[in-house]
This record gives sequence, structure tokens and C-alpha cells, in this order.
Amino acid sequence: MNTRRTFLQTAVAGFAALFLFFWNKITLQHLNTTTPKKYSFPFNKNKLVTFDDEFIVISQSETKVYSAHCTHLGCRIDKMEGNRLICPCHGSEYDLNGKVMKGPAYKNLTELKAQISEDGKTITIES
Amino acid sequence: MKQKKNKTTFGTLAVAMFWLVVLSGVVLAVPFDMTDPYLSVSNMMMLNPWASLLRNFHYWSSQFFLIFSLIHLYDHFHYKSRIGLKVGISIRLSLSMLIIFLAMITGFLLKGDADSVQARQILQTLAERIPLIGRSLAYSLLGSTESYQLIYVHHIATFTVFIAIAMVEHSRKYWPPAIDFVLSTLGILIISYLLSAPLHDNLNPAVKGPWYFVGFQEILHWLKHPEWSLLIFLVVLVLVYFVNTAKEKVMFRSKRSLLVFTVAYSILTIVGLFFRGENWQWTTPWSEHYKYSVLHSFRTPHVEFSPEFTLEAGVNAPVIQGRKESCLACHTETHGFTDSHSAEAIGCISCHQGNPFATGKEQSHRNMILIPGNLATAPLTCGTTQCHPEIVERVPKGLMATLSGMISVDRFTFNEQDNPDLLTSVHELGNTPADEHLKNLCVRCHLGNPKTELGPVNEFSRGGGCLACHLNYSEDAEKELVENSGGLMKTHPEISVKVTNNHCYGCHSRSGRISTNYEGWHETTLLASEMPDSSNYRLIEDERVFVKEQEDVHHQLGLECIDCHHSYELMGDGTHYAHQEDQQDVQCSDCHIDGTPRTIAAENLDNESAIIAALRFGNISGKQFLVTEKHERALINTFVENDSIWFLTKNSGKKMAMKAPAAQCTRNEAHSDLACSSCHTAWAPTCIGCHNEYDPNERGYNMITNREQTGSWVEYIGEYKAKLPTLGIRKTEGKTEIIPVVPGMIMTTDLHSFTGNEKDGTIFHRLYAPAAPHTTSSKGRSCVSCHNDPLALGYGEGKLEYLIDKGKGKWKFTPRYAADKNDGLPADAWIDFLQTREGKVSTRSNVFPFSVDQQKNILTVGACLTCHDENSPVMQRSLNHYEEVFAKQSSKCILPDWK
Repeated sequence: MNTRRTFLQTAVAGFAALFLFFWNKITLQHLNTTTPKKYSFPFNKNKLVTFDDEFIVISQSETKVYSAHCTHLGCRIDKMEGNRLICPCHGSEYDLNGKVMKGPAYKNLTELKAQISEDGKTITIES
Repeated sequence: MKQKKNKTTFGTLAVAMFWLVVLSGVVLAVPFDMTDPYLSVSNMMMLNPWASLLRNFHYWSSQFFLIFSLIHLYDHFHYKSRIGLKVGISIRLSLSMLIIFLAMITGFLLKGDADSVQARQILQTLAERIPLIGRSLAYSLLGSTESYQLIYVHHIATFTVFIAIAMVEHSRKYWPPAIDFVLSTLGILIISYLLSAPLHDNLNPAVKGPWYFVGFQEILHWLKHPEWSLLIFLVVLVLVYFVNTAKEKVMFRSKRSLLVFTVAYSILTIVGLFFRGENWQWTTPWSEHYKYSVLHSFRTPHVEFSPEFTLEAGVNAPVIQGRKESCLACHTETHGFTDSHSAEAIGCISCHQGNPFATGKEQSHRNMILIPGNLATAPLTCGTTQCHPEIVERVPKGLMATLSGMISVDRFTFNEQDNPDLLTSVHELGNTPADEHLKNLCVRCHLGNPKTELGPVNEFSRGGGCLACHLNYSEDAEKELVENSGGLMKTHPEISVKVTNNHCYGCHSRSGRISTNYEGWHETTLLASEMPDSSNYRLIEDERVFVKEQEDVHHQLGLECIDCHHSYELMGDGTHYAHQEDQQDVQCSDCHIDGTPRTIAAENLDNESAIIAALRFGNISGKQFLVTEKHERALINTFVENDSIWFLTKNSGKKMAMKAPAAQCTRNEAHSDLACSSCHTAWAPTCIGCHNEYDPNERGYNMITNREQTGSWVEYIGEYKAKLPTLGIRKTEGKTEIIPVVPGMIMTTDLHSFTGNEKDGTIFHRLYAPAAPHTTSSKGRSCVSCHNDPLALGYGEGKLEYLIDKGKGKWKFTPRYAADKNDGLPADAWIDFLQTREGKVSTRSNVFPFSVDQQKNILTVGACLTCHDENSPVMQRSLNHYEEVFAKQSSKCILPDWK
């Protein structure tokens, strides 16, 4: 019975697991403290579709904000053809209500909560 | 004798490549800027050819490191004997395979272009979907989206160190044989000089990952749950482990599986590289956009050690969309743009394409579009995502691009279709007699016809896509173009909203001639040599003689075409219309308003109108604009203020008050069905007596292919005069109105001359066409000019007399023109006297001549007018109280006897 070896192997494995635990904790805490929760930028209610790095603002009868990340693999949707939003990576298409119309994506775009300022010129989006 | 330990294998070459990568990477860190990778790489390519060479060296040595490592694997795997590595080493080797790919992909990400940004996003999403540790793993690997810090750290340190350790551990070598270094360096240097490492121009819509992951991307695009693809990775690594350590069966099966996987993956890679274009769509090599969407990513310049511009010019060239464009380093003094299209704002390649990172003339100009804006290339230039995609989508569906009405009516008159309303397009012309006729004589006037020569838009221009309206040469630009003998030109024409009447002229001085009518010029049948030397005559296109007539009152006031016709009419609103009156939106009543104007506040304008209004007129907040009745579009050069309606000319900002229509125009009694133009048209060009014949020996032209040919339809015209128009009826869903019509086609077509078929004779038609002559007069036409005029009623010119005999009155018509042998009616008539026609009577299915009863009503009033002056009290009263006046006629009144 080589108890010393077993002890050392267990200790190493244990410390490795502890290290993994610390890493996960540190990274998640860092993410929570550095990711902004709200974004504000100028708003134009007469523009049908506004593309941003992270969001798409669509103003029809009411204004809705969707995540600009395709639900397939997260690529940034940056164009509209006809009345469809098209992802440049693999061609997934969404209509102007964020509903997926053509795959490979199968989930609708994530809708985000947004508030328009009283003077109608700024929009604040919760990420 | 060669010693075994110095033998050159793919393994040793891979080691050599690795050290070359590390060495070139260390030096590359000097010009590379982690805080703005894309800009620093474009700077390298443009201003630092040695850095560019080194970057290529780093790229190619890393690609070959990967390739040689894979071949090295194959080298060892294809033997039948057992490899039998220890478990520990084998695990680390499998892991290092993964790390090699991570090192490569982080290098790919570090150039920061459009490909990299999307690849980064995909990697993040894939990593995040790993259970439990996904989110931390993704962030630890890639960091936040704004910073490349973590990617850089892992690329230069974490992965490099791991690979180095694994490499040395299993090969037990630090260095490869010296010859390997020499051969590798030499080979990579040559390739690095000839082929630059890829960099996306951030404009081309096709984005792809690196070549070694393109097969993976193909797999990803089929999977609804793409994270399962990570298992493929895991399985491959496990298979490699098994080949390294397992015995007999397991090892053999693992080897075979790996081989199958490699073959399958290679096929997918070829598919992804050569058959996938924009949006990962399947694109075949013979499709129109193959070159642009697929081959574009393979185009790469060689390194130019002496760029064709000065270093100072290069350093001072502006940064556009996050990177430098080398165009402006040579074309330094280019000016003449509007603010929104200036070189500093949008650069050059967003319109002209070409290579923004090459530094020599030939390479920079490769695949350049000299004249962007033609409809064929508009989606790649004017219509790219960041620019005018919605407009470029609308324009090809509009009538100026499809010519749907023109083509349908032509086919209708050639008896190839039984109604003139079918939707079609100029791109769908075939070889029928009508289609050949169109190709010979008509269809050059469509927006899709490309502009192929530099120079301003003038009366000779036909088509040109966006440029047909929006291209403007300043005097300087025109002068420089004429005087230029091959050197760099500095004055660039502008793309602007300054659309003048000149732009419309080329096409619209033909057919209905509205451009020339509007300015008060009527085309004669004189030859250029016969033109009198007088200011009343004018030569257009060097051969057409025009005589002065009355100009449109709006032209007199200084209004241009675009002052009435707005962008949703001209560029289309996305609907494929059958005829011009359907696509057209503005009506007289939209500006000359009776009652409360229809308005829209500036805050509620659609985005496009708001931008253009602000561009033209400055601050528009608080303004109320007029809105059209038909399609509800804002007229941005109008506004309502203090109960007055104001009008501004778009190009010159001239302000004028809008007049309401006169009382006689808005009463609801007599004439309520008349369109404004029925009374307020001064004259319209009318042509009669046309004959069409095909001459197989005539020098002709094919306007679709833009090539000369032998054989063409020839039109022989009879007479062409400026006259007051005839009146006809248009019945639409909403209303019935009386409109001006002109003899569109009273003509014969010799079909037999084209088809050679005995059964085909000569087609005869007597069709009138609805007209919008654009010769508006401020004073309406006189009563007798309609009620007592045979031409207005549709009988043709001649003597219309009211003969009174024995207390009875009878109308008599003596035509001026001889009867046409085809149907016995006078050459210029629409209908016979006091008769009507049905069937093919006009170029529309909803336009008709007056019925017999209507003619009788008109001529009854005409009879009154033979005695009573049109301004007399009784005639004026009859306008509002006709029945009453009619009932009170005196015994002296002699009404027409219709028997």
C-alpha cells in the first residue's frame, strides 16, 4: 500500500479542483462587475431598423429592441433584405418581429427591455 | 553518412516552422497594436512593406506548421505497427492538437477584420454552451468584445508555451536540422512575397472563417444545435489518443475512422471554400456573383517594396471605417464631392471597389469598378449594408427599370397579348416581332442600361442606374475630363440630390416628349439641314429639330421635374406597377388645395424623407408638410404655415405661395369629372399615319446587348403636330374622369416583313393613349375648344358645323383628313362622328372614347354656344344650374335634332 503516493495524488487532484473552482469564481465575478447592465444611445423613431453592435432597434407601430446576435451561433446580424433580417454567417433569416423564418437558427431573437426617454430622443436598453 | 537523428521529416519541418512562427511573431509585435488590430494591420500593409512581408511570413509559416504537423501525424499513423506511447504523453499530444488549432484561430482573430469579429462571436457562443464552465471558459479564452487583450495573451504566451513543451517532450528535440531551417525560411520568404496574408476589406458581404475551419463551418450550418459539434472535436482527439496508445483492434479502427473523417472533412472544406458565398449560400462558379462573393477572399496582392506614393501621403491618408485605404495615398487631391460622399467620409472602395491594401497601381485597381452606380453593380456599391440598401432594392422594380407598361403596350399592339396590362420586365424580352421591335427602337431607355463612358448626363444619355439622376459634373470636372491625357485626375464628379431637368432629358425628350413639352419645345419632322436660323428653333441630339411652343406654366415659375415628382415615384416604392399612372403619385390637387390641406408633422416623417428634407432645407423641426392623396407620401418641399401653403423649389430653394384652384375648378356641378389637365393643357404632340416595317438589310441595333446588327424594325411617321388634345374617359375603381388623350397609335405594322409567314399580314390599329402632356396653362381652354371642336371629341380635325334649317338644327362634320383605307375613318380620328367604338380602342383597358350619349350632351351645349357667347350670363349660369337653365330655354333656342 503506497499511502504516500495515494495521498500526494489525491492532494494534487484536490488542489487542481480547487484551482478550477477559484478560476470559475474569479471569472464570473469579474464578468458581473464589468459587464454594463444598461446601454443608452440616441433614438430615431422614424427609422424602421437601426443596427448597432449589440442590438437591433425596430420601430414599427411600437418600438422593440432585439439582440443583434443570431440565435444559431451568435454572429452579429447587420443587414436587412426585403423585410428580413439576415445573418451573414450561415444565412438565418428573421422577420421584423424577431421571429425566425429560415434556419439554421430555430429560436427567435432575444427581445430586450428598453425604455425611451420622455423627449423621445434617447433609448436605454437593459442587456 | 547521414545520421538518423538529423533526418529531415515532416516532423522536423514542422518544428522548423514553429520556430519561424515564434521568431516572426516576436518581431511582428512591434508594429502590431493590440488596441486597434485592424487599423494596425492595414497600416502595416500600406506604410511598412517590411512589416507586411513579416506579417505574411508569420501567417504562412503558421499555416505550414499546421499542415506539416498534420502530415507528420499521417506519417506515423499509416504504419501498421503499434505506436505505444505512454498515457501521459499521449494525452498531452491530443491536447496539444487542440491547442495548435486554438493558437491558429486566435491568430486569425487578431487581425480584427469582419471575418475575425464574426469568428470571435461564434467561438464565444460555442464555448458558452459548454455545460457548467461554459461562460467562464468563453470569457477566459476571449475576454470582452471591446478588447483583444486576452486573445493576444493566449496567442503569444499560453498556447505557444504549451505547444513548445509538448513538441519538445515527444520529439526530444529542440531544434530541427539546419537544412530544414534554411529550406523553410527560403520557401516561406518566396510565398510571403507573392501572396499577402488575408485581410477582409470590411465591405464585401461574404464572411468566412479560416480555411482549416471552413469544413467545420459547413457542418455548423447544418446543425440546429451547433454545440454538439464540439463533440466531434472531442471524438477526434480521443481517436488520436487511441492511435497513439491502444492495441491492435482499437488502434486500427481508430486509424480508419480518422482517415474517413479526414476525407469527409476535406470535401466539406472544398465545398465551404469554393461553393459558399454571401450568407453561406450555395454559389456555383457560373453564377453572376461568384467572383464577388467567393473568389474575392482569394485575391491578395504581393508585397510592394516601393509603393507608388510618398510616405507622407500615405501617413496623411484618412482612416475610413477603421482602416486605411491606399487609394487616397496616390489620389491625394481628389475633390468635388458632396459632404456625405466625400473621400474622407466613405473612402473610395465603398463605391469603386478594388484593393484598399495594395500599394501599387495595378494591384490596387484590380477588380475596380470604374463607373459604379449602374444597376448591375448597385447592390455591391450604392446598396451595400451601410449605405442605401432599401433604395437599391426598390429601384429595379420601378417602371423606369422594368419598362413594364412600354413593353406590354407594344406587345398588345403587335397582337401578341390581348391586354396591355400584363406585368413584365425589360430583362424578359424574347424574339417575337414586338420584342425585336422593342430591342431595335425603344428599350435603351431603362435604368439598367449601363453607363460605360465617363462624362456628364446629357440629352444623349440613356440609363446609367443611380447615376442617371444623381451624377453631376461641375464645370471644372467636365473641363478636366476633356483636357485629361492620362494623368491622375483631381476633380471628381459629385453624387448628389441635385437632380436637374437635364438628367431627365435624354429619355423623356422621346416618346411622350414631356421633358421638351414642359419647356415649350415641339419636335418637328424637319431634318437638321432644314432647320431655319431662328431662336424659335432648336436642335437636340444634333439631329432632331424642335420648334418653340407655349411652355408649361410651372416651368415658367422655375419648377423642375423633381419639384413635383418625389423619390417614391421616381425610385419606386417597391411595387411592380403596370403603367406610369399607377406608379405616379402627385396630383394637381395635392398642391392646389381646395379646403383643409392634408399634412404630416416633421417629427412623423419617414426616415428617408426626413433626411433629404433636412439636407435640402436645413432645420425642419416643427414644420407641417403636405401629404399626397393617392399614396400618402410627404411632399418635403412644401409646408403649411399660418393658413398659407408654401412651396420651395428643391434645387434653388425659391419660395412661392401655392394658389388654391379657381371657383370654376371646384364646383360640383358641371365639369366635376374633368381632370385638371383636360382644361389646363396648352397643347400635346400628336402623331398620325405611322407605319412599321421590318427591313432585314437595315443597319440596326440591339439595345439589350448594345451591339449593332443587320436587320431592324423601321418606323415611318406620317405627321407630327402640336395640337390641343382630344378628350377621353378613364374609369378606375374609385372614379371616372375625363382626361386628355392623344393618338398614340393610328398605324399599320407589316408583320409579314418580320416573320416571313404567309399567314401574317399587316396589322392595323387605331388606338389613342392617355396623356400627361406637361404643357399646363394657367388659363383653361375655352368652352368652344371642347364643345364645338371635332378634335376634342375624337372625330379628328375638320369642320364641325351646326346647320340650322327650317327651325331644326343638325350637327355636321367634314373631316380634314382623308379616310384611312383600313377602316374608313379619317386618318386622325378616334371615333366616327356620333358613333363610338369598343374593343381595342386605346392603349389601356380602362380608357375609352365618349359614348354616343355623352357626345350628344357635349354637342347640345355646343349648340347653345353657337349663339350664346361662353362668357354670357346664361352660359355662366348653366354651369351651376344646368337643368334649370335648360328648362327655361326660349322659343329661339334650337336644339340638335339627332335623327
